[in-house]
Amino acid sequence: MKIGKVVTDAAPASRNRSKLINEKGFFSRLTDRTSESRGKLLIYGSALLMIVAVTAITLFLTIQGLRSFVVDRLNFWTFITGTEWFPDRAKNPSFGAFPFIFGSMAVTFLAALIATPIAIGTALFMAEIAKKWGAKIMQPVIEILVGIPSVVYGLIGLSIVVPFMRQHFGGTGFNLITGAIVVGIMILPTVASIAADSIRAVPDSLRQASYAIGATKWQTIWRVVIPAAGSSLLTAIILGMSRAFGEALAVQMVIGNVGKIPSSILDPSATLTTIITLSMGHTTTGSLLNDALWSLGLILLLISYVFIVIIRFIGKKGEKR
Amino acid sequence: MIQMEKNIVSFTNNTVTKELPIQINVENVNIFYGDNHAVKDVNLPIHEKSITALIGPSGCGKSTFLRTVNRMNDLIPSARCEGTISYKDVNILNPKLDVVQLRKEIGMVFQQPNPFPKSISENIQLPLRFAGVRNKKTLKDATEDCLKQVGLWDEVKDRLDRSATSLSGGQQQRLCIARALALKPDVILLDEPTSALDPVSSSKIEELLLELKNSYTIIIVTHNMQQAARIADYTAFFYQGELIEFGQTRTLFTNPEKQSTSDYISGRFG
Repeated sequence: MKIGKVVTDAAPASRNRSKLINEKGFFSRLTDRTSESRGKLLIYGSALLMIVAVTAITLFLTIQGLRSFVVDRLNFWTFITGTEWFPDRAKNPSFGAFPFIFGSMAVTFLAALIATPIAIGTALFMAEIAKKWGAKIMQPVIEILVGIPSVVYGLIGLSIVVPFMRQHFGGTGFNLITGAIVVGIMILPTVASIAADSIRAVPDSLRQASYAIGATKWQTIWRVVIPAAGSSLLTAIILGMSRAFGEALAVQMVIGNVGKIPSSILDPSATLTTIITLSMGHTTTGSLLNDALWSLGLILLLISYVFIVIIRFIGKKGEKR
Repeated sequence: MIQMEKNIVSFTNNTVTKELPIQINVENVNIFYGDNHAVKDVNLPIHEKSITALIGPSGCGKSTFLRTVNRMNDLIPSARCEGTISYKDVNILNPKLDVVQLRKEIGMVFQQPNPFPKSISENIQLPLRFAGVRNKKTLKDATEDCLKQVGLWDEVKDRLDRSATSLSGGQQQRLCIARALALKPDVILLDEPTSALDPVSSSKIEELLLELKNSYTIIIVTHNMQQAARIADYTAFFYQGELIEFGQTRTLFTNPEKQSTSDYISGRFG
């Protein structure tokens, strides 16, 4: 024991230095067989895998999605603006994707229109009015709602909303607004939960300032808390919209799946996602229809990216204030 | 010790020649947070158009007491008050009192400047809008008037539409005071308004308060005894939830009655 101590004390200065300064390069440090380096390897590896996955999906979808234009010689412009979708016509099949782009957009915006007021109301109730109750009961309930699989929302839509629409508005009940209602209910908990977080993030000093100048609770919420939470509330709504945009199953079950531009919200319609899930199963790889569906997938991906860019942009703007 | 204290502090503007009428009278006020007896049996007169400073070590109940005067403590669910604070023939602590109206008459400024993340002019106009003022000209005139009162007008008149958060800390605090003045209150409560500010900004606020006391009754909580000595007409010393001593500032600082007051102002604890 004593001897050992003496030895370390007597160690030359250069050896002490080598312990403090790691002169190995980045990659050799990464492959060092110490637990520190292994942890690093795991974390760097996961991050790398994530980036590779995203890049690979984008690349794959781009290559597959461009086939219909490059290999099959479809005109890109007529593809995204065309309104006729007759892929099965033996003579002169036509691929006009605009009804699906329109359907996706319409479902997304109508769903946001339905969900936003209710979601923000719920969030305000949870975060401003009944804080204890909100945290204890509402929060878990909303988390459960977020976790319900979309097929369940679709089933409920099918067995409740569709018959309701049929009885009260005529037609089959399978239409654009039914789809929007089902998706709106589906994204409601997502929006509410993020909105509640952003309302809780508003500093209490602003509420105090508001009460101190003789504001009522409602005035404080309406004129101080909501504007202060502003940009993050918008983020919540757009996040909900991007979820609505990508939803396939629940929409497909209730929207009617007709590849035409609906003339009213009570007409059956279709979206990018529903046409892909409906048709992809009975196409052969490399066929014209298969390629066209990939192109729809590419459009879907690009629009989803646009949503993400908007969210980032709003987030940055919010930080600046 | 007291002799020494005289040399440190300067009494500039706070010689009370005649007793001013009492605007708020505090009788037997007790404040509790749950089981914690935060303020014990306080009796205190607040004189009209004068500055009353509340001093004492941290946690002595002075801020709690201040927040009771405009019922801001209502926002804390566990807070409970007993006693009487008479103001305009009503008891402020009456549970049936319209606190929204009360806070329009008794304004408040906080330790950290807390302007709304809106434009400078909106910050001033919001209290008026809350009170139902819609006339554009009235709002514009009030903005100019309030900003002039706090000496901020010349600094910001060209950028009234800019965000209030772009102002410096001292400017933000003066904006908060201007916001409190917008409704022409009778009383302004200030909770350590300069403790987050640099010395230059602090002295600007002090000068401002000396000006404002000609039109408003001011109660200020401060950790800075020199500040109390410089600006206050009356000073109340709180210690462990009790009001130990109250009197004219000069008397309290030069000739305190109680030993603990003397110990505190000479810096022996706190």
